[in-house]
Amino acid sequence: MSTVASSRQAGALYWPVQLRRNVGVRGLFAVVMAFLVAYGFLFPGLLTASGFAKFTQSWFPLALVAMAQAILMLTGGISLAIGAMVSLGAVIAATTMTGPLGVAGGAAAVALTGIGIGGATGFIVVKLRLPAIVVTLAGSFIIGGAALLILPRPGGAIPEWLSDLLAGNTPAAFVLLVLIVLLWKLYLATPLGLSLYAAGENPVGAYRSGVPVDGARVAAYAISGLLCTGAGLFVAAQTGSGDPVIGTAFTLNSIAAAVLGGIGFLGGQGTMRGALAGSLLLSLMISVMFFLGFTPVAQYVAQGLIIIGAVAIPQFRKVQQ
Amino acid sequence: MLATAPLLAARGVSKSFFGNPVLRDVSIALQPGRVHALLGENGAGKSTLINLLSGALRPDGGAIEVDGRPVSRMTPAYAQQAGIAVVQQELSLTASLSIAENIGLGAYPRRFGLLDYPELAVRARAACDLVGLDEPLSMPVGHLSLGRRQMVEIAKALYRRPRVLILDEPTSSLSATETKVLTNLLERLRGERIAILYISHRLNEVMALCQHVTVLKDGTCTADRSLEGTDANELVRLMVGRDPGDLFPRWQASALAANAISVRNFSAGLMRDVDLDVRTGEVLGIGGLVGQGQEDLLLGLYGAIPARTASATVNGALGLPGGVPKANALGLAYVPADRKREGLHLIHSIITNMMLPAFARLPALKLRSRRAERETARGLAAQLGIKGDLGRPAQALSGGNQQKVALAKWMPHHPLALLLNDPTRGVDVETKREIYMMLRNFAAAGKAVVLLSSDTPELVHLCDRVAVVREGQIVAMLERGALSEEAIVSAAMGAEHQKVAA
Repeated sequence: MSTVASSRQAGALYWPVQLRRNVGVRGLFAVVMAFLVAYGFLFPGLLTASGFAKFTQSWFPLALVAMAQAILMLTGGISLAIGAMVSLGAVIAATTMTGPLGVAGGAAAVALTGIGIGGATGFIVVKLRLPAIVVTLAGSFIIGGAALLILPRPGGAIPEWLSDLLAGNTPAAFVLLVLIVLLWKLYLATPLGLSLYAAGENPVGAYRSGVPVDGARVAAYAISGLLCTGAGLFVAAQTGSGDPVIGTAFTLNSIAAAVLGGIGFLGGQGTMRGALAGSLLLSLMISVMFFLGFTPVAQYVAQGLIIIGAVAIPQFRKVQQ
Repeated sequence: MLATAPLLAARGVSKSFFGNPVLRDVSIALQPGRVHALLGENGAGKSTLINLLSGALRPDGGAIEVDGRPVSRMTPAYAQQAGIAVVQQELSLTASLSIAENIGLGAYPRRFGLLDYPELAVRARAACDLVGLDEPLSMPVGHLSLGRRQMVEIAKALYRRPRVLILDEPTSSLSATETKVLTNLLERLRGERIAILYISHRLNEVMALCQHVTVLKDGTCTADRSLEGTDANELVRLMVGRDPGDLFPRWQASALAANAISVRNFSAGLMRDVDLDVRTGEVLGIGGLVGQGQEDLLLGLYGAIPARTASATVNGALGLPGGVPKANALGLAYVPADRKREGLHLIHSIITNMMLPAFARLPALKLRSRRAERETARGLAAQLGIKGDLGRPAQALSGGNQQKVALAKWMPHHPLALLLNDPTRGVDVETKREIYMMLRNFAAAGKAVVLLSSDTPELVHLCDRVAVVREGQIVAMLERGALSEEAIVSAAMGAEHQKVAA
């Protein structure tokens, strides 16, 4: 009888765990919903197929880099090379896809570059025990330089059909994002993926428990690199060509989105769904303020104030407890 | 019973850190179906021995044996394979993961490469049932109290189905009920022929639970015998019985009737509603096991952490200082235990370190006089016996000399009361002697000295009175006449023969 009871509980472990992870981000979800409603009200076109497609396309690259930053912050690291990686992904896509490699070969080159550079960065940070912030700052110069070497000025091309597919009036970006989120859930359901949290929050304890701490962290850097160059490919498809400095703004925006989403700087704190909601909030904020007629300068100020507020409110709550 | 080989044993192991011997020729054998107690004062080498047994450290000499066979390279991974599980004092849990995910961490069941949640739930539930954890398995560990987290830690060890279970002070954060559950569980595991090593400072628990005891003192083994026919007093004697030698200056009464510091219903950190008077001209010792709130007492008095009190007088002023600059102005000085991180700025010169409190008092924009600084520093160095070039970074000094610098920096301000947090930890014998001499001289010069120490002999031989702290309370105030290591240790542990409790 006890086995019956325990196996019934057994079936119900994964979903309760997932539900509990929502607790910390409920407030954020509510704010995002409010902004979505406001946006839908200001811009009723959101509810048409093409309006929805355009909106998800403007969000998509930010969502990817927010994930790329969040996965590193969960391991207790950070990357200042996100923007440079996006640029590199964009120029590789724009220079290979119309060449002999074709679209498939170009996409593979973009992916391999992301995984390779990400993994190498991770190896340097983890094995040589260097501070991630310094290594990735240096990396941003090297990677950004490499992007400029490949394509000194904006140019190259993306096949038109690919641009139409990814950035036309189709919900392809949204479908891709759903797929990527599902793949992330799958990764988090592997022992290595789940170990990210332990390796980030309590590396000594995790090591003593038999977790491959170094491996989990290097893998996180490789995945992060893949997400960045993937975002670069998408940006190139959006613009139809490559630009070696197009990614620059993504570095700080990725940190802003992750922080808005409740990812902590100390490692192991926060959830990917929070980081995604944070990136959605950031791109909604920009759109809503645009529609409300804020000047660009006022937009930046408001954006900064909202981010400080988002970090301060949970802190106040903690102090009051 | 002796015919069976011990599941896990250390044979004559030694270990030194930086030339400082921590364990010398220690042997211990863990037999199946026996709860083996490991006793010793703070710093006797218990944690080091556990780390050797679990492969976290490797011995300098001697051997670790599993099933009677010596293991050439013991690692945490090998220990896990051999069925050795350790419940450490510092928890190895991840707050954002659920109870079940924590229990299985590092040894998850897999299915097609994915974590097998149904299987994990069954096995984690079984481990939780053993320790009486009835919280939902999906609850994040961060939501649990410290005591419940300790139970998760124990469940995590049991999940791995160990043959040898090592518990390092498992009950220090447990409630009475949880302790009872654990005691019953260990009895049961003993019946299942598991070898258990149990480290605890609570002697009554040890007496009730264990069959065999090993006592460590200063890194050597002073007893390895059956607990049958042994009483708590005898264990205390085995742990502390040592020769104080001529390390300490001759004690002379120098206390005056006046109180330098006087607090009523003082609460700070772990300390709750404590009354304390520190007399002018006395060395007041603060003793007890590590982490009972002693440090919070000093920091609260010094204004470095928030403190509440019904009434307080500090060097004639009413009320607690409430902040470090105010405390300094009232004549309080604090020397922290962790001199490398809190006491000194290691990469800066010895002179800069000595002058730091003086900088705080100068008008902010006044130009520094390097010559005056050099002269003051030279005077201090001569007074405290710090040798060599004072322009060197503080990290070039030995631990003992660093401690002298940490002490010296307060001297130009003529503090009326010194709050010292374990000033002789990790300090060589000769410097210890000099520091002891200095402390007695301070007292003789009419200063009040509060000496928090984890070293029981120095409390006995140096202090006028000793306040013993346990669980945030001063449980005993021992006067000079009643001071002995046995009295302090038994008050600290709440042993039954305690006749000195206030």
